[in-house]
Amino acid sequence: MFDLLRHAWAIARKDLVIELRSRTAFVSTLVFTVLVLIVFNFGRDPTATAVLDLAPGILCVTFTFAAMLALNRAFQLELENQALEGLLLTPISRRSIYIGKLIANLAFVGLVEAVGLPLFVVFFNVPVGNVLPALAGLIALSTVGFVAVGTLFSAMVIRTRFAELMLPVLQLPFSIPPLVLAVLAVSKLFTGRPLSESMGYLKLLAAYDIVFIGLSTLLFPATVEE
Amino acid sequence: MTLASRGRAVTVVALLLLVGVYVRALMFTPLERFQGAAQKIFYLHVPAAWSAMLAMGLVGLASVLYLILRDARFDRFAAASAEVGTAFCVVMLTTGPLWARPVWGTWWTWDARLTLTLFLFFLYIGYLLLRQAVTDPGVRARYSAVLGICGTVLLPFIHLSVYLFRTLHPQPIVLKPSAPSLPGVMLVTLLYSFGVFTLLYVGFVMQRYAVGEEGAHV
Amino acid sequence: MSEVIPQNAGYMVAAYIVTAIVVLAYALSLYRRTRGR
Repeated sequence: MFDLLRHAWAIARKDLVIELRSRTAFVSTLVFTVLVLIVFNFGRDPTATAVLDLAPGILCVTFTFAAMLALNRAFQLELENQALEGLLLTPISRRSIYIGKLIANLAFVGLVEAVGLPLFVVFFNVPVGNVLPALAGLIALSTVGFVAVGTLFSAMVIRTRFAELMLPVLQLPFSIPPLVLAVLAVSKLFTGRPLSESMGYLKLLAAYDIVFIGLSTLLFPATVEE
Repeated sequence: MTLASRGRAVTVVALLLLVGVYVRALMFTPLERFQGAAQKIFYLHVPAAWSAMLAMGLVGLASVLYLILRDARFDRFAAASAEVGTAFCVVMLTTGPLWARPVWGTWWTWDARLTLTLFLFFLYIGYLLLRQAVTDPGVRARYSAVLGICGTVLLPFIHLSVYLFRTLHPQPIVLKPSAPSLPGVMLVTLLYSFGVFTLLYVGFVMQRYAVGEEGAHV
Repeated sequence: MSEVIPQNAGYMVAAYIVTAIVVLAYALSLYRRTRGR
């Protein structure tokens, strides 16, 4: 058990260090997130719709796109460095590799979201002060589930033609439950409802996360066999 | 007889019986009072839905069995079931709006059932695209199995999420689409249609599986 | 509820035709792919 985590952490660190050195991917993803937020702003008629009606959707969709981009970048990194093949030669277990990649992807997406959220608040003037912990937790829950499946699929598309197209096509159906549940819960938060009213959504989100992290960990070895 | 010819025979029988369903539904089953003639779409839509769901469930099962037992026959079956399921899904997606429009007043609504149909379709398409995009048969089988399992597990979550979403924003429903208790005549027609669509599924899968046995292009 | 049964047979006909087309088209595709086997 400890070996699993230790190896996973080592792999995650390696990926993140590569990321920190170049920073291009992070900055691009961040810029993309900001652009999406801006587009959403121009896409609505300020006199016709209240911001609070659209805000939950805008926030969650923007973060979903950012996560997709991040997963794409992870896969590109693999293609360039072929690090995965190197890793497979080591005695590290496949499950560790998956969890390590998952951690790295989550850290990356998490950082983008951490910068994106304040920007969202500023652009759309949404009062999140008193619900910030709950909001952060909700976003985290939603992101984890989506990135779990995405990490699995990005390993698969490496040996697929038209990989950059395949990844979104395969992944988007899986982004819907976390997206819908997050929007429902965030909607309640923004309108000042107590967190207890969103418990159903949270439980389903947590269930989704547990199921798909478990399933992805289980299935990952099948995607990298020789 | 080869599998292909047996599959053809089963399909022909099923198609003939389907004509029987058409005749029975259109001429010998009474009109539903509130929905009118359009309600009869129900006799095609619901069994097609059943076949599409059955097909996906079997894709999931075959995927699990393939990953555990690594028998290529399970992969071939999964590929067959996926393609056949897609065909039934198309029937579902076309008859659904044709039924919704006269009964609910709108071609499409994001209710739990229709949305699940759409997602089932996207899963099928994704599965078939993935198979097309991988050249090595062993890799293709493994990847398809992974996607098949994840997709099947996803479906209940989609259903629940959409259901929760919809109960917050109920659409004004003009007429109820399906009566919970069907009068005998209608029930018989429906069950007959279920049987025929299941037989059609079997015949189609047998043939499609035979196509897969040739190896080259699955 | 209205006393008159809604006149929407057009949709029913369309649905029955479309279903027949899809089913027959797929059956035909399979028939051609398994020909000679």
